[in-house]
Amino acid sequence: MRPALLLAFFFTLLAGIESAAAQQKVIKIGALYPLTGNLAATGMDCKRGVDLAVDIINGKYDLNLPLANQEGIPSLDHAKIEVVYADTKGDPKNGLAEAERLITEEKVVALIGAYQSAVTKTASQAAERLKVPFVCSDSSSPTLTERGFEYFFRVSPHDGTMARNQFEFLKDLETKKGVKVKTIALIYENTEFGSNVAKQQRNYAKEFGYDIVADIAYPANASDVTSEVGKIIAAKPDVVMHAAYITDAILFTKTFKEMNLVPQGFLNMAGYIESDYLPTVKADGNYFLVRSTFALDLAHKKPLVGQVADLYQKKYNIPMGENTARSFTAPFVLADAFNRAKSTDSDAVVKALLATNIPGDQLINPWKGIQFDPKTHQNIYASAMLVQIQDQTYYTVWPSDAASRDVIWPFPAWKDRK
Amino acid sequence: MVGVRDITAKQMTAGGAVLALLIVLPLFCSPFAQHVMILTCLIAMCGVAWNVMGGYAGMFSFGQAAFFGIGAYTSSYLLLTFDVSPWIGLVAGGVISSLLAAAIGYPCSNLRGHYFAIASIAFAEIVRIVFTNWQMVGAAEGLTIPMLKESLAHFMFHSSKLPYYFIILAFLLLALAVCRWVSTSKMGYYFRAIKEGHEIAQVLGVDVVRYRLYAIMISAFLTSMAGTFYAQYILYIDPDSVMVLPISVQIVLVAMLGGANTVLGPVIGAAILVPLSEYSRAWLGYKGTGMDMIIYGTLITLISMYQPNGVWGAITNLKRGSK
Amino acid sequence: MPRPGATWSVTLEQLAQQLVNGVLIGLVYSLLAIGLTLIWGVMNVLNFAHGDFLMIGMFLSYWLYALAGVDPLFSVPINAVALFLLGVLIYRFVISKVMKGPPLAQLVVTFGVSIFLSNLAALIWTPDFRTIGHSMLTGTWDVSGIELSIPRLVTAIGSVLASLGILWFLRKTRTGKAILAVEMDREAALIMGINAERINSLSFGIGSALTGVAGAMLATYYYIYPFVGGTFGLICFCIVALGGFGSIEGAFIAGILVGVVETLGGYLLDPSYKLAIVFAMYLVTVWIRPQGLRGW
Repeated sequence: MRPALLLAFFFTLLAGIESAAAQQKVIKIGALYPLTGNLAATGMDCKRGVDLAVDIINGKYDLNLPLANQEGIPSLDHAKIEVVYADTKGDPKNGLAEAERLITEEKVVALIGAYQSAVTKTASQAAERLKVPFVCSDSSSPTLTERGFEYFFRVSPHDGTMARNQFEFLKDLETKKGVKVKTIALIYENTEFGSNVAKQQRNYAKEFGYDIVADIAYPANASDVTSEVGKIIAAKPDVVMHAAYITDAILFTKTFKEMNLVPQGFLNMAGYIESDYLPTVKADGNYFLVRSTFALDLAHKKPLVGQVADLYQKKYNIPMGENTARSFTAPFVLADAFNRAKSTDSDAVVKALLATNIPGDQLINPWKGIQFDPKTHQNIYASAMLVQIQDQTYYTVWPSDAASRDVIWPFPAWKDRK
Repeated sequence: MVGVRDITAKQMTAGGAVLALLIVLPLFCSPFAQHVMILTCLIAMCGVAWNVMGGYAGMFSFGQAAFFGIGAYTSSYLLLTFDVSPWIGLVAGGVISSLLAAAIGYPCSNLRGHYFAIASIAFAEIVRIVFTNWQMVGAAEGLTIPMLKESLAHFMFHSSKLPYYFIILAFLLLALAVCRWVSTSKMGYYFRAIKEGHEIAQVLGVDVVRYRLYAIMISAFLTSMAGTFYAQYILYIDPDSVMVLPISVQIVLVAMLGGANTVLGPVIGAAILVPLSEYSRAWLGYKGTGMDMIIYGTLITLISMYQPNGVWGAITNLKRGSK
Repeated sequence: MPRPGATWSVTLEQLAQQLVNGVLIGLVYSLLAIGLTLIWGVMNVLNFAHGDFLMIGMFLSYWLYALAGVDPLFSVPINAVALFLLGVLIYRFVISKVMKGPPLAQLVVTFGVSIFLSNLAALIWTPDFRTIGHSMLTGTWDVSGIELSIPRLVTAIGSVLASLGILWFLRKTRTGKAILAVEMDREAALIMGINAERINSLSFGIGSALTGVAGAMLATYYYIYPFVGGTFGLICFCIVALGGFGSIEGAFIAGILVGVVETLGGYLLDPSYKLAIVFAMYLVTVWIRPQGLRGW
């Protein structure tokens, strides 16, 4: 008698757990980032952005973000999103392996990531082979959306768009402020990122009618950059455009100051907007212009930005940065697609992604919205603003409808600063 | 500990059993496990190739990544530009690597010990820097191998990893056969003489320079084959992923940890190190603590301290001890 | 050719600036290389963790500054002692065990230590970047048109002093001479009754202490993070080999030479090739003179 009772009790329990589990449905998505190694600080930035986004989606928040005011995905029984992270260590072969592992073993229904374009390349190849949607909001190589992939979508702008934005800014500066710029020096770290940016900048420089008087690639992990800065000085450019990761951004900043390089202005990318940059170089970072898809001062025009930034600051005790803001957006795009597709089946999700139409006021990024080009799957509204570091803070200075401060131009001489 | 052994019947059955296991096991594994096995065979192959010049002939090369990368780039470039089959590209890459190895090996052939090691690093870094700036092969942006229809002729498979696995297993067996032939042949005997000290070798009448070059060329050819495989497997290469020092270091590590002058040593070494680093990354990496690398570093240190002749050495000592 | 040549002319002043900077960075390299070559000369061990010791030295200076307000320049002696102890400990507990083993194991064990140290640092101190905000040494000195960064200048001078100090120690003190004796002929030294283990341990400690000194000085103007060792490590090995196994003067000269070649080469030719130029210089040198510049 007793064993039968125990068995009955056991099965009831099981049934109870089963039904409870059925109500607690979970949607697993995979996130690939360099969580250890050289770019770990950046990887962690991205992870925090994703974590916050998923928190908001799964919880009930009074924020004008997609699905924020309901728990989970409404049309899927309020199922919650669970993120499974994988460390790529910045190596493309790990990107491939982890993408496959997340899909085949962890059974994730979609992927996001992976920051480094080389890693995103191989990871998204795996996703394409296995027919799983990949929504990228933090890799900037234009080639990612030139492959004709069905399952890959990119939310953020690529280096081509961002380079173009830099030149549009220059032209604006010339017309509105009577600034005269003729010559440009390109300087870039010599890996996939930097050399791609330089290629784009060369093309746009020609299109916009500027002369490139120096075109300098340097090894990414240089211990000293005096020769590079010396070459820029010798070329006497009006404007310097630097594509860097954080280590070189820091080193070059110090060297620019030491060797007294004072062009009319610096238009930089990436490294100068990393969370660790300003705390490391402090006042020496002032007056650099950086392309960005986020700045805290956007809160003036869009209270949503302030609300999210506050949430982030409260949760992590550090200010929200650009990498975080980019990675923050991908989970929302996926959640919105799941909701409209009423399913997590790959093809249904892809169809829903293609129909995505998130309005700009539901984003913390300064875009008109999110809509994917039907062929390339690139967000047609993705673009970059220009921010300038003033008083050791990032302020939006372009385009004018997003600007909160006027740009300071030309670049004040190092020796003239207090 | 010298690796010169006649194959006994017992060893043949043991070997056959292991081989059968290696063939059957992946059929039941998840794709990630298959990936780990593929990587293991890939690095093991490079380790065996390294052994030919390092373990046997005493030339500790820390620059094998150069040949690995040249193999990857040669076959990929020929495929992308001239539609040449990767199999032909494989051979072409191997030939180019061997010739380059001979060209650099000749002037370096009388360098001793650490000087040679550093020269190999210098050489590999020069190759990497050249490829990073060489527009014809994509410079820093690398090369993307196009996704063709899957077939053996295309050396490309999409629906399953198993064909990749069997190919790299075959490559590994080839490398092992070459290594064994080297170790038991006259050439192997000369290699060991050179390792002991090339004055001794010269006294014995060995043309030191010639045999050193043979060792380097064989090693380079095999490593280059591995590089071509990598390109066809990962479908994207750039100098930072195929020509960097950490690859060369990992190759030396598996050879040393497994047993530097035994035929099977690098296979054992790879079988330990690769799954360790892959699984610890998969299980621990997501936390971002770097614990997997701390474990990896500790393991390398401990094995160097307590099993400096490699794990295979320990196993054979055990076997000898029990006799 | 996608990279148009720059339309500039080389002025004597700019050339002089590059030369000076080459020497300044070269002297930092020298300091690191001397420590490495001492270890190599005495024990025939290539310490791949040398760069990571530098990293620890830099962090030590950083924490002394952040937690106790100690100016990095004053942390030089503290670093020297601390890294000396670390070196001796690592020698005693790790390296000495491999000394009787095959040379390959001796090479590989320091790799393991390197991976261990850099990742442990990332775990404990996070991978974030740090710099020292205000040290006594800031600013640049304008000497007839050439910008001299004061922290770099002081670091370079410190490096010269440290190198002279080591040379004096090796040539004029009993212990130093014992070390030199072991370097030149280990067997003979043993026969003369020199305690080889003690010399080994001492040399490893001194070599490491020098990275502590370099770390303190670099911390005044360089960024600090767990993987900064890699930036200097590789080039150090090249310098040590170029200078010649065990030769302090060789390492000193080679360091300056590499600094100058790297900087001038990058300036006159192409910065993306500057390391290739350094490595090519090494190869050509050892082809002509297999024992390095001043090695024996």
